[in-house]
Amino acid sequence: MDLEILIENVLNAVTAGITIGCIYGLMCIGLGLIFGVMRIVNFAQGELLMLGMFASYYLVTGGRVLSFLGPYWGPFIGAICAAPIVFAGGAILHRFLISRVSGLRTAGSLDEGHFGQLIVTLGISLILQNGGQIVFGSTPVAVRTPLSAEAFLIGPIYRGATVFLNKAKLIAFFVAILVAIVLYLTLEYTRLGKALRAAADNPTAATYMGIDVDRAYRIAFGLGSAITAVAGGLMATYISFGPFVGFDYVIIMYSGVVLGGMGSILGAFWGGLTVGFVQQFSALILPPQLQNATIFVVFLMIVLLRPQGLFGRSAERA
Amino acid sequence: MRHGAGQQLRFNLTVLAVVSVAYLVLASFVANSYYQLILTLVPVWALFGVSWNILSGYGGQLSFGHASFFGIGAYTVTLAVVYWSLSPWIGIPLGMILGGLAAVLIGLPTFRLRGHYFALSMLAYPLAILYVLQYLGFQEVSMPMHRDHPAAFMEFAEPRVYTLIAVLLLVAGVVVSLLIENSRFGLALLAIRQNELAAEAAGINARLWKMRALVVSGMMAAVAGGFYARILLVVTPDSVFGMLVSAQAVVVTLFGGVASVWGPVIGAAILVPLAETLQAELGTYLPGIQGVVYGVAIIGVMLLSPDGLFWTIRDRWFGQKAPEPIPDSTASAVPVRPASAHSGAPLLKVESLSRAFGGLKAVSEVSFSIGEGEILGIIGPNGAGKTTLFNVLNGVLSADEGSARLDGVEMLGKKTFAVCRMGVGRTFQVVRSFPRLPLLDNVMVGAYGAGLSDRDAIASAARALIQVGLQHQSGVVAAQLTNKQLRLMELARALAGHPRLLLLDEALAGLGREECDDVLHVLAQLRQQGMTICIIEHTMHAMMRLADRFVVLDHGRVLATGLPRAVVEDHAVIEAYLGKKWLARQDA
Amino acid sequence: MLAVHDLHAFYGKSHILQGVDLRVGQGEIVSLLGRNGVGRTTTCKAIMGLLAPVGRVVFKDRDIAGLRADVIAHAGIGYVPEDRQIFPTLTVQQNLELGLKRTGRFGRWSFDDMYALFPNLAERRRNAAGVLSGGEQQMLTMCRTLMGDPELVIIDEPTEGLAPKLVEQVATLLDEIARRGVSILLVEQKLTIALKISHRVYVMGHGRIVFEGTPAELLANEAVRRERLEV
Repeated sequence: MDLEILIENVLNAVTAGITIGCIYGLMCIGLGLIFGVMRIVNFAQGELLMLGMFASYYLVTGGRVLSFLGPYWGPFIGAICAAPIVFAGGAILHRFLISRVSGLRTAGSLDEGHFGQLIVTLGISLILQNGGQIVFGSTPVAVRTPLSAEAFLIGPIYRGATVFLNKAKLIAFFVAILVAIVLYLTLEYTRLGKALRAAADNPTAATYMGIDVDRAYRIAFGLGSAITAVAGGLMATYISFGPFVGFDYVIIMYSGVVLGGMGSILGAFWGGLTVGFVQQFSALILPPQLQNATIFVVFLMIVLLRPQGLFGRSAERA
Repeated sequence: MRHGAGQQLRFNLTVLAVVSVAYLVLASFVANSYYQLILTLVPVWALFGVSWNILSGYGGQLSFGHASFFGIGAYTVTLAVVYWSLSPWIGIPLGMILGGLAAVLIGLPTFRLRGHYFALSMLAYPLAILYVLQYLGFQEVSMPMHRDHPAAFMEFAEPRVYTLIAVLLLVAGVVVSLLIENSRFGLALLAIRQNELAAEAAGINARLWKMRALVVSGMMAAVAGGFYARILLVVTPDSVFGMLVSAQAVVVTLFGGVASVWGPVIGAAILVPLAETLQAELGTYLPGIQGVVYGVAIIGVMLLSPDGLFWTIRDRWFGQKAPEPIPDSTASAVPVRPASAHSGAPLLKVESLSRAFGGLKAVSEVSFSIGEGEILGIIGPNGAGKTTLFNVLNGVLSADEGSARLDGVEMLGKKTFAVCRMGVGRTFQVVRSFPRLPLLDNVMVGAYGAGLSDRDAIASAARALIQVGLQHQSGVVAAQLTNKQLRLMELARALAGHPRLLLLDEALAGLGREECDDVLHVLAQLRQQGMTICIIEHTMHAMMRLADRFVVLDHGRVLATGLPRAVVEDHAVIEAYLGKKWLARQDA
Repeated sequence: MLAVHDLHAFYGKSHILQGVDLRVGQGEIVSLLGRNGVGRTTTCKAIMGLLAPVGRVVFKDRDIAGLRADVIAHAGIGYVPEDRQIFPTLTVQQNLELGLKRTGRFGRWSFDDMYALFPNLAERRRNAAGVLSGGEQQMLTMCRTLMGDPELVIIDEPTEGLAPKLVEQVATLLDEIARRGVSILLVEQKLTIALKISHRVYVMGHGRIVFEGTPAELLANEAVRRERLEV
């Protein structure tokens, strides 16, 4: 292949990998938070992503709530505004469903409640997907912004090779980083963060110390849902989606979280970033259907070769 | 067969016969072709559920990717007809074999994982296959009709024949499942599900049993998938490898009753007609109503009746069945092992054993030996490395250096179950029981773990129970046993495996004075019968009476060894472990 | 400090506590004795809100029966359970830090106090709590609970599984706790320790209090000792 085209493709794949990777990273943080604090494998995380997309969509276009912000700011603010909506939804899901099959109620029981969690979240996933089909219809929609068609041009770098930085993705990238940093600071330095870490490590001991573990879990679940929803809202600016979109991203999320080490939120971000990279690079050589298969292969390899991921820890005694 | 299996089997097989005949009679009255299809689909999904139940219900290894096997069966049958003109009568068995092979290929790497990781990995396989198939262009494959020899290609004008075949396949699957449930296969799986480490320590090769379960499960699922392709006539990757297919197995079994062969049958019988009818009636106004119904069904079941309908019905209306008591005569059938003459060489010889965690040397160049018939007490301060030492001897942890020989044969480097088979029994600091199994089954696991035949196993378990004095509680579920009974249960489980050496980790922990005496009495009797015991304990007054010699560990090293009286008067031991007041109290 | 009136508690259908009455005064060490299974741990859990209590539990003039466990903990009762509850992936130091109710706000106890009392823990300061031995974890749980500066500590079998030398250290700790004005409700099997350090003792039998008095009175009362305890 012509060297100039090769360089251009590679550089574009790198920039796409970074920008999309960081958005994936944000998406994975949401799942990582839920798994890290509550040790729940949330099957419905893809649907929370989907809800974020639709929330943003209706805020910006359907309900015209944010239309005053115009098509340049609207979609991104919409993505952020999706957060409180999905936070509330997640908290409600937790209060009435998830809390019954997790936390102190099931700690110490057979399977530690794994069965129950996987099943209840699978049920939620089915309801949200199919219910979404009923409510939203199956025609794909997108949150239009003219920015998704514009790009910054860097170069020419080597002869004619130019790097295209899609504007919509770039802004989404910055928003994602911002949200991630805010979350990190919250968890590290506030009392809420400490309560979450204690509840994550040993809910019984946390209770003895005066922490309302149920409330901590609810917040963690709501927060995890909201973060993934924001990522969804950001993605909505450059892809079109329908009620079953979550499904495509579930395995990406899990690959990212497992790669980063389940239990580590920072790890989840890096995991998502890495998976994004792999996906964009595989687009250089592989046709679309096999790209997703590549993610699976990556997932399986991580899980088999280094299950604790990059940042995970394991401390246990027989 | 497990104890009491004969009666169970007879009962269940009778029910199976009655239900199948009734179902077929019902099917013969239905004329509407759509309902006939539903009646055929129910046993297919039930069979799929039964297959899933073997691995994930009995064995507890939640798999979210059984569509792999289902799809392999479906595509094998379809492609065989399309490309090689092979009839489904051959295609289905062929698919079954491929399903089994796939199970081995998938199981080998994936069984290194547990819990969440396992479930998620299993999810990845069918989806990966799905994408590859789409890429390869197998978007839609339809099975051609064969006008000249329809029956040879499993084509029948009368749809009820399909129902008959489906029911026959299901019956075969249920029979296989019942045989598993009532044999040591089933007990091994249940034990693995409820406490894998304890099962391993009792001699059960968990990896091997899980693999066997997956292979049987995969083969059965492939048969279901193969027949499904035959009924559907058009196969797309999504319809047989998709998420909803994997979910179907899970939903149907969980709803109906997990870890029971009737669960998937009940679940399929209720959910499949419900979903299909809803889809037909409301599908146009509410597309996706089927998924919503499934979602609501499984959430409802999980909240109200977490183990599934079958168990709730059984427990509420039929109560717990009293288990068959073990006849006393079985115990005497096993000869008591004669106390062998001391050959002079030690039974267990440990040399320079070391194990570190990161920078922390938990066990450091520990050497000692135990003679046959001796009771060695291992004492020392907390954190001295006593339990770690046992974990290394037992195969739960690996050693960094050193050797441990049982009668000259090296123990280190072997897996836990293999160490158990060499003749080492182990009890744990925190009791590890199989909480949902009755006491007898808890002990039977030890007997099966030693590889005894069915008859010898029951006799051995019975004898072990008599040795510890629990023969009258054999039917009590382990979750309801007291602390003392649990400790004795662990001892019996270890004894049922005919060990040569017992490693007891704080067998007296949490016991009051009287209970302590009861257990000591049992241990003293064991010593009289020639058993070699190595015991970690802090209850010093008990150890003084029981142990022949002490080994004192401190900070991972051997601090002192010798006769009890000498050791407790050793200054170093007093300094590190006993404290001056303890000795003064003993003499007072 | 603590007053319990006619406390009943159930495990499913089992009527475990059948009317327990007891008091713990300020700075007192009170032991709860009795055979395994009479309901001593159940009493602790009922007071702490881990079980639904029926009856009155008054702590510092406030009825706490029926409140959530974390609320009760916040009110000033510390609970050191029989099974060691530590934070396994956090270090020993982090475990102690988490014991503080407000970061940086120390009560009667400082980190140095804890390390001085238990040099083993000082050695393991930076190790993850999950790799400590059983006994060390027990010590850590006690220390962490104290860091929360409770007014009353309920301790369930602190010396279980501890080497005799450490049992001495625990006894010293219990004395120190009382000296700093904190009340203790102690459940113990080892009579010698309990009798040595307690101001008063209760003996339980079948879900009720069957004896109340000073250690000396208990030692003198052979009938109760023989019938209700293991000696």
